Amino acid sequence: MRRKEAVLRVRDAVMFALPLASLIVAWQVVASLGLIRVLPSPTYVLETLLNLCRPAKGGTPIILAHFGASLFRVGMGFSLAMAIGVPVGLLMGINRYVNYLLHPVLSLLMPVPTLAWVPMLLILWGLGDRTIVAAIFLGGFFSIAYNTASGVRGIDKDLIRAAYTMGASKWTLFSRVLLPGSMVSVITGLRLAVGYSWRALVGAEMLAAAGWGLGFLVFAARMVSATNVMFAGLIVIMFAGYLMERYLVGPLEKRTVQRWGVVRT
Amino acid sequence: MRRQGRARSIVSSAGSFILPLLLLCAIWEIVSRSGLVKPVLLPPPSTVFPRIITLATTPTQRGGSLLVEHILTSLYRLGLGFFAGGLGGIVLGLAMGSNKFVNGYFNPIISILMPVPGITWTPILVLVLGFGDSTLIAVTFIASFFPVVCNTASGVRSVKKELIWAARIMGAGRVSLFLRIFLPSSAPHILAGLKLGLAAGWRTLIAVEMIASALWGLGYMIFDAKEYLRTDTIYAGIIVMAIIYAVIEKAAFGFVEKKTIEKWGVVSEVA
Repeated sequence: MRRKEAVLRVRDAVMFALPLASLIVAWQVVASLGLIRVLPSPTYVLETLLNLCRPAKGGTPIILAHFGASLFRVGMGFSLAMAIGVPVGLLMGINRYVNYLLHPVLSLLMPVPTLAWVPMLLILWGLGDRTIVAAIFLGGFFSIAYNTASGVRGIDKDLIRAAYTMGASKWTLFSRVLLPGSMVSVITGLRLAVGYSWRALVGAEMLAAAGWGLGFLVFAARMVSATNVMFAGLIVIMFAGYLMERYLVGPLEKRTVQRWGVVRT
Repeated sequence: MRRQGRARSIVSSAGSFILPLLLLCAIWEIVSRSGLVKPVLLPPPSTVFPRIITLATTPTQRGGSLLVEHILTSLYRLGLGFFAGGLGGIVLGLAMGSNKFVNGYFNPIISILMPVPGITWTPILVLVLGFGDSTLIAVTFIASFFPVVCNTASGVRSVKKELIWAARIMGAGRVSLFLRIFLPSSAPHILAGLKLGLAAGWRTLIAVEMIASALWGLGYMIFDAKEYLRTDTIYAGIIVMAIIYAVIEKAAFGFVEKKTIEKWGVVSEVA
């Protein structure tokens, strides 16, 4: 049995890798024929990537320093968005007046592109971490608050009445009915927010980073037309995004929503 | 009778939407006048809203209005990029949804490219296509393409087997199977994908207009205003963006939804 599972897993991995490999081969052919002038070959990009893994002056590999700076910013921005967005959303869901006041603002500001706030933040704080973290925060905040609020509002009225009838206090109602009942929406908001924060990160780093960060790496490489570095940065961004999607967002959903049995597995 | 009821509901929904906004504008005005925040950082609404009018009435060399030309340039880029991305996404998504091999090949590629923010391609595309509309449109295309592909493919795959079998038994050919079964039953998914694609394209376009230093467009307008500390222009730009997107979404999708999925009656089936 075990063995069969292992074989299947290997087969899946090969089926996943094969198309990507074919794409890389095509890229190599196009690059070595020189069809697109600025396109570096994959081998050259790989060499660059290995070069970037060499330690810089401080001792950490260069690429890790860029990666670390980006990870720190996205972590800070996203945590802030969650720490503020969820309570605001819950408050909007619970209290009619808060909802009345904030709902129009949220729905009006939600479609404003996150990076549209960056010029204002640049005036406020200039280049640097604060501006970037704030942009990431704004990227995540709206979808978290909006989805949390609509999750609480969407709970079946009968459930609330039933809980009251059985003598639930306000706190019990909140912790046993409203919170679990809205969790699907909260998680949806968080999922969306991870994507938005990640997108905001790269854009904000291009506009506001000083020295470090993956977005900055790609953007600075353009100044010296180092296409190999640009593609190396792109590949790191690609893998970071893929790993995040696969090992952070997916499990998050499994751990919480499925365990509580709100969504059928 | 019915019309009166509708008019009243429009009035009441406008009241519950606009009243809180007016209230917040009043708070904004008071905070900004009170001197708690530097007036440069938070200009009061009484200077921001007139600024929109000033921008709209400033003539350009081409003879049009400054704000309108910024808006039209952005919309032109968004329109072309989104059209290409939406069309390409639907075509590839339909192929992936209905053919196992196409799906097997493109699924890994798409799942690895999808988390890459569209903006990341900007520096690379600038080198290939130069500073100009084609770079901006290409990035918008990339950003709006992925959500459409994913949703279309999963929409086609979620069509019930029984429906397909039933159609086959009743003698449906490939074309009518496609037109009568696949397309209508995956339409809600495709529309959802198009909505996401439009939003992604819009967000990315505004960002790219700042990064690739285009000379026109709403993104450029607010980024340029930063150089001169014209915060009133920045806030005006943000307000204009919010309004414009709300209008586009309502106009484009409200109409299309009414003509397609509501008419075909697939929505109630899905929900």
